[in-house]
Amino acid sequence: MNTPNETRMNPQETMPAAQVVTAIAPAKLTLAEVRAKLEGKSGKRYWKNLDELAATPAFQDLMREEFPRQAAAGEWVDSVSRRGFLKVMGASFALAGLAGCTKQPDEAIFPYVKQPEDLVLGRPMYFATAHPFPTGAIPVLVKSEAFRPIKLEGNPEHPASKGKSDAFTQASLLDLYDPDRSQHPRLRGEQADFGEFQQQFAAAVAKTGTGQGVYFLSETITSPTLAAQWKQVSAKYPQARLVQYEPVNADTARTASKAAFGDYYDTQYKLEDADVILALDADFLGGIGFPGFLPMASAYAERHRFDKDKPMNRLYVVEAMPTVTGFKAEHRLALKPSDLDAFANALSGGSGPALTNPDAQKFLSAVLDDIKKSGGRFAVVAGPQASLAAQSAALALNANSKAVTYTEPVVPLPSEQTADLKALVADMNAGKVQWLVMLGVNPLYNAPVDLDFLAGFNMVPNSVHLGSHVDETGFFSTWHIPKAHYLESWTDARACDGTISIIQPMIDPLYSGKSAHDILQALLDPSVSAYDAVVANAKTYLTGDFPTAWRKALHDGWVANTAFTPKTLGAPKGAPPAVSYPGGGIEISFKPDPSLYDGRYANNGWLQELPKQVTNMSWDNAALMSMELMGKLGIEENEAIELDLNGRSVIVPVLMVPGHPNDAVTVHLGLGRRADAGRVGGGVGFNAYALRTADQPLAAAGLTINRSKGTYDLCVTKVHNMEHRGAYAQRDLERPLSDKDGAYSLAGHEAMERSIIRYATYAEAIKDPEYAHTGASGTLVNKVGYNPQGEAVPHEESFFPDAWRYDHKDESTKKLQNKWGMSIDLNSCTGCNACIVGCYAENNIAVVGREQVKIGRIMQWLRIDTYFEGDLNSPRAHFQPMLCQHCESAGCEQVCPVGATVHTPEGINTMVYNRCVGTRYCSNNCPYKVRRFNFLLYSDYDTESLKFQRNPDVSVRSRGVMEKCSYCIQRIEAVKIDADKNNRAIADGEILTACQQACPTGAIVFGNLNDPAAKVTQRKAEERDYQVLADLNYRPRTSYTAGVINPNAELV
Amino acid sequence: MATQGPIREPEILDPMIDPRTGEYVVIAPGHTFKSVTQKIAGIVLTANTPIAWFGGLFLAATIATGVLIAVTWLFLKGVGIWGVTIPGAWGFAIINFVWWIGIGHAGTLISAILLLFKQQWRNSINRFAEAMTIFAVVCAGIFPLLHIGRPWLGYWLLPYPNTMNVWPQFRSPLAWDVFAVSTYATISVVFWYIGMIPDFGTLRDRAQWPLAKYFYGMLSLGWRGSTRHWIRYESASLLLAGLSTPLVLSVHTTISFDFAVAAMAGWHTTIFPPYFVAGAVYSGFAMVLTLAIPIRKFYHLEDLVTLRHLDNMAKVMLATGSIVAYGYGMEVFMSWYSASHWEFFMMWNRMFGPMGWAYWVLILTNIAIPQATLWWRRCRVSVWWLFVLSFIINIGMWFERFVIVVTSLYRDYLPSSWGTYRATKWDYMLFIGTWGLFTTLFLLFARLAPMVPMSEIRMMLPQTKVHLGGADAEVVVQEAL
Repeated sequence: MNTPNETRMNPQETMPAAQVVTAIAPAKLTLAEVRAKLEGKSGKRYWKNLDELAATPAFQDLMREEFPRQAAAGEWVDSVSRRGFLKVMGASFALAGLAGCTKQPDEAIFPYVKQPEDLVLGRPMYFATAHPFPTGAIPVLVKSEAFRPIKLEGNPEHPASKGKSDAFTQASLLDLYDPDRSQHPRLRGEQADFGEFQQQFAAAVAKTGTGQGVYFLSETITSPTLAAQWKQVSAKYPQARLVQYEPVNADTARTASKAAFGDYYDTQYKLEDADVILALDADFLGGIGFPGFLPMASAYAERHRFDKDKPMNRLYVVEAMPTVTGFKAEHRLALKPSDLDAFANALSGGSGPALTNPDAQKFLSAVLDDIKKSGGRFAVVAGPQASLAAQSAALALNANSKAVTYTEPVVPLPSEQTADLKALVADMNAGKVQWLVMLGVNPLYNAPVDLDFLAGFNMVPNSVHLGSHVDETGFFSTWHIPKAHYLESWTDARACDGTISIIQPMIDPLYSGKSAHDILQALLDPSVSAYDAVVANAKTYLTGDFPTAWRKALHDGWVANTAFTPKTLGAPKGAPPAVSYPGGGIEISFKPDPSLYDGRYANNGWLQELPKQVTNMSWDNAALMSMELMGKLGIEENEAIELDLNGRSVIVPVLMVPGHPNDAVTVHLGLGRRADAGRVGGGVGFNAYALRTADQPLAAAGLTINRSKGTYDLCVTKVHNMEHRGAYAQRDLERPLSDKDGAYSLAGHEAMERSIIRYATYAEAIKDPEYAHTGASGTLVNKVGYNPQGEAVPHEESFFPDAWRYDHKDESTKKLQNKWGMSIDLNSCTGCNACIVGCYAENNIAVVGREQVKIGRIMQWLRIDTYFEGDLNSPRAHFQPMLCQHCESAGCEQVCPVGATVHTPEGINTMVYNRCVGTRYCSNNCPYKVRRFNFLLYSDYDTESLKFQRNPDVSVRSRGVMEKCSYCIQRIEAVKIDADKNNRAIADGEILTACQQACPTGAIVFGNLNDPAAKVTQRKAEERDYQVLADLNYRPRTSYTAGVINPNAELV
Repeated sequence: MATQGPIREPEILDPMIDPRTGEYVVIAPGHTFKSVTQKIAGIVLTANTPIAWFGGLFLAATIATGVLIAVTWLFLKGVGIWGVTIPGAWGFAIINFVWWIGIGHAGTLISAILLLFKQQWRNSINRFAEAMTIFAVVCAGIFPLLHIGRPWLGYWLLPYPNTMNVWPQFRSPLAWDVFAVSTYATISVVFWYIGMIPDFGTLRDRAQWPLAKYFYGMLSLGWRGSTRHWIRYESASLLLAGLSTPLVLSVHTTISFDFAVAAMAGWHTTIFPPYFVAGAVYSGFAMVLTLAIPIRKFYHLEDLVTLRHLDNMAKVMLATGSIVAYGYGMEVFMSWYSASHWEFFMMWNRMFGPMGWAYWVLILTNIAIPQATLWWRRCRVSVWWLFVLSFIINIGMWFERFVIVVTSLYRDYLPSSWGTYRATKWDYMLFIGTWGLFTTLFLLFARLAPMVPMSEIRMMLPQTKVHLGGADAEVVVQEAL
């Protein structure tokens, strides 16, 4: 019978040869499936589902895979705990999918598919280029983070600048990322295309045949390539015209040079060879507004260092507006412009008004004596904006100087700019101008007001504006082309000694900017780019194998053997030009703003906020005058007055400047721009160009001041308010210094009383090298009580003699630990503000705006304190950079309730931003008040372009946290890590704080105090070294070297 | 028929003056247990709340909304809306904090120290004085949190174990403040509450309205008035008084350390702890007077809070005011005697600098006016003068903290960082708002809780001096129920 048994066939016989399934495995569960199973559930249902899921073998397999160790049987005492663990771990994965927790959107990050050579993300790269400036390019080394420039430093190998930089250069970085930069070309306000412009322009000019009616109005051309291109354009279109005009120019220097020597020459001052320096209206220690600032400041500081074996130089300054150079001088004479001319005349023995001022006569004879005694080792420095009389006097006297030489001009096409502009305006008014191509200029803002540029401009049918912003001029121009920033451009320039630097771009133009090369090239061969033009021009001065030489030039940042050879020209051949200066009444001087120059930096937040040299104004300009003039006119500070010059008037605030000559007013150019300047620059200050004429661009007479135009609360960052000088200043109970009420600064007086500023004369320093601790004419050390005021408590007397030793040795390497410290030489600091801007760039410091600065909430970690000593009509001023002193026994550390500020074992007082809750007790306990607090959200978290500039190694602080100088700890750590990786010691000078690196005179020195050979150790070992407020026993790590001045006995 | 002199009228004796001592009595004669209970319970358990109370509450609450607005704006924008800056990084917030905490000290002194000293006259004022303390601490306590830059992280000042393994930095006086103020708040609330339990019991027993019965029933924690309860109550009071007594001295000492431990001239001085404590008691008693005088008038409590109380409180103010005057004098003397330029400049600047006006207002309101008047008994028992003076003294005490905080900070060691301090409207709004907050809370307290301790007043009545077995005992016991 066919039983099932029978019908069952032998499986192995009848089964086809198929795959034998040996085990049935459940489908493997993935995390995504787990999440899917749990999705949408919440609360009890969620856990119930999870429970059920946890019981399934698929889930347990998944968890076993994820946590093999924990899933292994051996790990757990019982299977229940193991299952429980796996269940919980599974839940934690799935929790990401719970409704209520928002899942972050997926943002894919990709590493470079093809990483550019040498790029290691997170490691910055350094490229060399230069910052083109009308007085001479400043060579820079650009720190680029993933091809974004984030910091500029001086190029340390450049023969002229030797690695120093200045405030404008440091701040120029922010201009690259300015969110108000124009972003696309415009034709009559509508977006257009550069190619369109090129065609139209080329066609129109070609139609004229000779270039008739084509005028170029450019800023001072600094690029040899551009000059070469112009020559080509001029050859092709002989009737085309080029006018260079900048409101702050070197016209008087050019005129004087032409009259004296028949040609244009640039003066080179070798201040290292000068024992006596006389500066006539020359702010050569103030910034790159003065040509040759970097080598001159460095040389001056070198010769001004106190050394018993070397003679110290002596600086005399005669000026119309107090400057930092004036206050560094041993002897300073404040003269209003007409008197200054008379002085210059008397100096050179020329014709002209006689010098009547007895002080000036005494000064003059002393200076001439000193110059004679120096035996040729002197220099008379005339500023580029000094009057003709001063220029001529300098040329005349420098004939006998061994420290002054002349070179061909640094700019390739020197000219007398104001005269050229006048001619241009005349042509415009006559209708001769068909195309006005403006390259980097803003004449509708800063052209001399009597020329009425706007009227002429309106007669020009085609105007082209190449500019970084759609500014006052760009707004009204037919064509506007965005100008590429120098960090985005190919061009070249010469430094103050003539050395050529090739400027290479660091980043692609952010907003399709073009350079002047592109505009000119449109008339030549449009297919030639700026790069090609620069290469072509480089072939004229690069020697040897071109590709190698080219790469070397780009790598080094400068081209060897391109400096100008200095010549001595002897006495002036021609007669000095006639000077007709009416003088009389109240005179007005027009000076470039120390922070904004001629107004080009008006939209730069760092520079607007930077407290100006000497006046410490920020976000403002004012009519600057002496206390006497204010008294005579009955004006009080914070009053607004009207300045009336030849029928043109402007309403301005008033500020008293100590040491300003009487019967004179100074105004700074560069403010008062309209909203077109940008969100930062628009509407700040008043426009001094509204008073400035073409005939008298430097100074004018016949100013009338009308009172009672309201009040204006000036924004000044330091103690500049009358209350500190007025009624309260005179009530010093010990010794009244002056008869005039409020004629000295209480702050300055206290700074001397408290031994915050210490200095001595050269003779005193030689006699008593310990004067900083024993006393001198400029050093008051009151020996009162147990702890002589001003002296640190000797460590041996501490209850904790073993504390603060910092002599720990590493066990394995036996290396002594680092002990960081800083020393600042007050003799060298000129108050130029380069360090402050460098600090802003390095540490992502926020710009807070005018109202906040006025209340006192400026965020600068490093500030330059200016103290006026003595009678405010002719004071002595002292500059002291003040930053976190990194006190060993810091008061701030003791009082922070959450421990947000702590001391590292190497001696740095660090700020832990994320722990700070903002009680501000630390600020109260800091006697130096160097801690800055983010009272509101100051850091700009929104503007996209500004985010590029930020240093990724430094946090961007939010609201409610305290911040302060960190000795650039990010730089310290970077070098330490590198040294550790390469098993080497850190060399002295390898770690440069941002301020140290920017300082042109080398006043700031930072290093390892445990290294006996380090510069900072040697500086601190000098007898002149002292700590500010040492008697508070905070044990600051930053100390200062007391100043020495070298006065002339005749004038004391 | 001998000639007689002019008929002298018999002297009208003021019933409120004790003929033996010439002092005012502590309780007006004629009160019984029942009358005391009725009087005080009647204020709470009445169905007719006086319209003036509603008016006052409305006004106070309106002003208190200033706190809400100011705090909201503060959290949205940051501490920068105030006038604080560098160098004056502390301003109204800290001044107000110290002022309010100082005010609170009087309540604790009355409750605790005067209890331990067996000064029975404090019995009628201690309840609302302690309430004043608590509300003052409430007003004070918001400032330390608000004035920090990141208030949402304020809990980091508390020592809680956390995964970061970070504790507060215990060397900082602000960390000590956390302990001092929280201890003070806790003990004050506990003491105040425990003290009110018998009275809540009375209210529960007398209440007609079920909700009131329930409310006071919950609050009275099952008080039966048994002997055992009374014994425990007395022990608890003494214990808490013992705990609170050191707090009177220690809390404001710790607050003064905020300044004394810092290195600023004008702050760094050892006189601060006693000077602050004395000042705190001074301003606290002034505030008690500010409250007591209207209360006794509007609620007709002149027989329970008599002129004797006012006189005694004025005497305490005189004593503490003298200590404060001594403190000011010592500061001035030491700034000269120390020969330290820092101290000398600080004091010169404080008196004659741009903010010198504040110093002279301080001297006038804190020293000159009180010292010129409080030595005379006529002034000490003049109700309207004491009321005016209490405001003057509180203004003066506010100015004391203003002078200490602002003048020491705005012109300190480095002249380059000298600045100024100008309060903004938000500062004022918050400060005035806290007055509204305080008044609101106090008015609510006056309506809902027994302002004067009934049990303690009853203990002071002559009827309590009963001999066992006497005929009056039964009567007395019956009456008390």
